[in-house]
Amino acid sequence: MGHEGVRMFPSTSLSLGAEARSTPLDDLENVVAMYQPRVFRFLLATLRDRDAAETLTQETFLRAWSARASFREDCSLATWLIRIALNLARDHTRTGRFRFWKRVSASAVDVADVAAFVPTREGSAEAHLIAQQQVAGIWESVARLSSRQRSIFLLRFMEEMEIPEIAAVTGLPLGTVKSHLYRALAVVRAQHNTHGATPRNPTPRSAVRRDATTRNATTKETQ
Amino acid sequence: MTPQPRTEELAGQPGGGCASLGESHLTGEQFGELMAGTTEAAGGESTSAEAHLKACKQCAEELASMKEAITLFREASNAYANEELRRRPRWILPERRSTSLSLVPAYWVAAAAMFLTALFPLQLLRRHNVAPPPAVATSNADRSAQSDEALLEDVNSEISATVPTPMQALADPGDDETAANSETSVPTSNQRKD
Repeated sequence: MGHEGVRMFPSTSLSLGAEARSTPLDDLENVVAMYQPRVFRFLLATLRDRDAAETLTQETFLRAWSARASFREDCSLATWLIRIALNLARDHTRTGRFRFWKRVSASAVDVADVAAFVPTREGSAEAHLIAQQQVAGIWESVARLSSRQRSIFLLRFMEEMEIPEIAAVTGLPLGTVKSHLYRALAVVRAQHNTHGATPRNPTPRSAVRRDATTRNATTKETQ
Repeated sequence: MTPQPRTEELAGQPGGGCASLGESHLTGEQFGELMAGTTEAAGGESTSAEAHLKACKQCAEELASMKEAITLFREASNAYANEELRRRPRWILPERRSTSLSLVPAYWVAAAAMFLTALFPLQLLRRHNVAPPPAVATSNADRSAQSDEALLEDVNSEISATVPTPMQALADPGDDETAANSETSVPTSNQRKD
């Protein structure tokens, strides 16, 4: 797992022995500097609204600060913060107000904005354009996932969390996490094979078959 | 988990790989396991799905294409989020308020010092308004009463005198007669006034 931010604070673990009530959240400025980008990008990909993502990011740290005494360090601080952010996002998206503002919000994320940040690698301009199309396709297909599938997909492939960590964040059993993840992958895979497959794949897109799981999941999610 | 047979075969397709050899492809769950990295193999052996990937070019390419697309998705999303975050103003965090237990006594000491500091001028002011102790007050009163009486006696004696002390030298040049005639001199003066 390639995320350095998940590591525990060594100073904190040392100080806990001497002073039972000290938490990593005591140094709020440092915690914000370290975890704000991660929380923000997760909320941005989840909510797809810049202002809402920033507001809930602030709310995440406020909630964490208020409840810092309840942080038992049975999980990493990053996991704890993402769990708070996920709960906030879930509560936020349940409201009808969110659905209304999502339609008219000027701060809604456009898929083209994200695709424009596809890193330029060695290759032709055409290859870069195809890469942008692939990213746009995944972004759109992720938007079609259910909120739970989307969260799990983003936690696994954007935050690069392991399955047990995702289970800790979501509070779901491991098997349920895997099930949601496979269904989400089936939807994304179907979209990718239909619209965004790279030209290096010699198989025509129309010939790429979907197994029964993929078809069922796609049908279920698009309904 | 063994690769499941599919209803649609890729026979005759370029890159069909194992399908052209009569084998089946990865199921959706196997594909998901390989994507999510949740394949479980006992004793370090590769799973049947992983073994299938080595033999099936199409599945391997599809998996690689998906992994690459998701990597691009992650990198683009992260870059976009970082850019958005950079554009926005930094948060202004409030001053850190430590509630450490070790500092709690210091808070009490500081509060007590402030209380005493505020109380001290009040106590001084109160002392100014309070009457002196009774013993001192009695002695001062006695002294003032004695001095008042002595002053009053002096005034009384001067008033009762027919000629004021400063003018006695002018009343009668004679030494002995001065005292004797002193009483007559006053009416004389009164008569003059009349």
